[in-house]
Amino acid sequence: MRRALSVIVLLALMAGFGFGVNRLIASRKHKIPTEGTVFIPTATRPKIVLPGTLYLAQNGDIYRLSDGYFTDLHLPAAGGSWMQPAYVPNSQDIIAVLRAAEYSNLYLLNSQGHVIRRLSNNANVHLDTVYLNHWMFYPHMGADGNTIYFSYDQPKNSSSYAVDFSLWSGTLNGRLAAKQLSNSNPFTGGDVDPTQLAGGGVLYSKFAIGSGNAYSVIAIQARPLGNPITLTTPAQDCGQPALSPDGTRLAMVCIGGTGLQSTRLEVAALSGGKLGTPKTLVNNCLCSAPVWAPDGSGLVYYNTADATGHFELWWIKGALGASPSAPLQVTTNLDFDALSPPSWSPLSSVPVMAR
Amino acid sequence: MRRHHVRRSRIFLGFLIALGFVLSGAIGAVAYFMPAIVTAFQDTGHSITRNLPTPKSSTSASAAATASAKASAPPVVAPPGQPFTVLLLGSDNDIKFGGTLLTQSMILARVNPITKQVVMESIPRDMWVRLSSGGSAKIDAAYLHGGASAAVTTVEQDFHIHIDHYAWIGLLGLVNLINEVGGVDVVATNPVMDDFYPADLSGKNPYAFERVAVLPGPQHMNGMQALMYVRSRHGDLRSDFGRSQRQQQVLLALRAKAKLLGIADLPDIATAMANDFSTDMSISEIASLLPIASSVQLQNVRQVILASPYTSTGHQNNEDVLLPNWNLILPETHQYFPAV
Repeated sequence: MRRALSVIVLLALMAGFGFGVNRLIASRKHKIPTEGTVFIPTATRPKIVLPGTLYLAQNGDIYRLSDGYFTDLHLPAAGGSWMQPAYVPNSQDIIAVLRAAEYSNLYLLNSQGHVIRRLSNNANVHLDTVYLNHWMFYPHMGADGNTIYFSYDQPKNSSSYAVDFSLWSGTLNGRLAAKQLSNSNPFTGGDVDPTQLAGGGVLYSKFAIGSGNAYSVIAIQARPLGNPITLTTPAQDCGQPALSPDGTRLAMVCIGGTGLQSTRLEVAALSGGKLGTPKTLVNNCLCSAPVWAPDGSGLVYYNTADATGHFELWWIKGALGASPSAPLQVTTNLDFDALSPPSWSPLSSVPVMAR
Repeated sequence: MRRHHVRRSRIFLGFLIALGFVLSGAIGAVAYFMPAIVTAFQDTGHSITRNLPTPKSSTSASAAATASAKASAPPVVAPPGQPFTVLLLGSDNDIKFGGTLLTQSMILARVNPITKQVVMESIPRDMWVRLSSGGSAKIDAAYLHGGASAAVTTVEQDFHIHIDHYAWIGLLGLVNLINEVGGVDVVATNPVMDDFYPADLSGKNPYAFERVAVLPGPQHMNGMQALMYVRSRHGDLRSDFGRSQRQQQVLLALRAKAKLLGIADLPDIATAMANDFSTDMSISEIASLLPIASSVQLQNVRQVILASPYTSTGHQNNEDVLLPNWNLILPETHQYFPAV
């Protein structure tokens, strides 16, 4: 009896040992973060308190960051993913893109996430003619709080494969796609990321293809459908322009035409429609979406924290000056939508409104 | 005598117990690696038969034509730790193709583990070449007429190089691989727009279309998004060449993820890619590639695309094709891939 018990105990120990070896090897697996393992922003606090109010997109929803706290706007999940928020000057409202599988629309929302109204209708109900759907991205408001600039895949010819973004403008209180501003290069992807310049014209990224490579240049569209003024060269391959609040500096993301999966965050002086020699703030990174603080005290951008990927918010204090601070990682394990540049309103607190 | 017998019995018992623990540990390890072991039998270690080209006498077009003179020989594989060449093959293997597969993507990769340098050369799928199986056709048909062996031999004889290994992957294999490593972070060089992207993997009519809009800049892509990025071609002025560049970009993004992987991750990856992946490499050879991939710096990666003047548009057998200029292609290729 005692011997049988010993054998049973030994067998159980052996089985436990085998299971332990199995789990030990399993524990050596690398924990690669996924969309399901990142934090919800509201469960975290940023490392520093940034001035004003930032609107950021994560996992199809939009969050407000103000006074060191994230607030979930709780946008309706049905219909697609929310992205690319843009605050409306002189108001508490924002514009945002709702991206569905085949089209995207612009919406006007209040600061609490309540949909005020849909601004576009780009959906086509006929499944066999998907090309009749349209995309609208990169909304930016003009200083008057009424003019809106955005990228739109019009004009489009159904007899051609060409689908390219052009720049358009309209008004919140009138026709949305009222005026085509740029002629894009066909079969390149087109023109994106328009921002109104104080002296008139629109700053944006223009895509082209030359010598077998796709690249972007930062350009100014001084008048609708006129020839663009290019600020950067094809070899620099720069895009995502962000103009400082005083209009004297341009932050941009440059690839250098290599296609080697690395970018540089650069800043250059902008004067009289000409760009000075750029200064590299961050090299060999996956930097994207630079945005200046409304008071000009620095800039934020997205970059991955490590090889696990996922984009976090970073801050460079004094980026306008000659000796900016070292980049500081503001958030951890939040994985923001790197295609949605933060929108930074100077208003520091938002009154709570009834939904 | 009896004491001696008892002592021997105890030693034997102790040995049995130790053996039991070793065996149970081994069973635990085997159980963990079972998916990888199954994959090792099903998808890896597929030896290829090939006809090696005759040694190169010149890089002229006439030499290329005579390269079809073949000398049968067993494949010689680079010894471990030495530079080697891999032919990466990708096929649209959705239901539309019914098992008759072409290779829409062919990338030659030369890996030097000593200098930690990598060269990737994309071979245009429409390139008109002599096939190892006989006759001439677009190079993507080599796989159709003899699988990986024919694809490898065709590239070897036309490019006058030696290929050590091949790896083939299907659409879902790529999607699942990227999802398994948590997605990839890709710098999209331009907006990739396509209103006529095949809807074959989205559960709709496989002959229907869906829309693609990949916005430019650094971004996180899941497997399906990455597939759209590397597969779309209608909205790109460079057509298949643009697609080739994007395929190389996603390979580089995957390289970054290799830093995170180890042998314990192989079973999950093997399960994810099951039935949509094959190679002549053994599972241990694949595992040994992970540290090499992760140690290669971006500045040590060279990308080669055989656009004009290496190729020019032409017409053969009522098909639009790309005609190779071997006088340019061979010297360019042999800078990075040793000529044979």
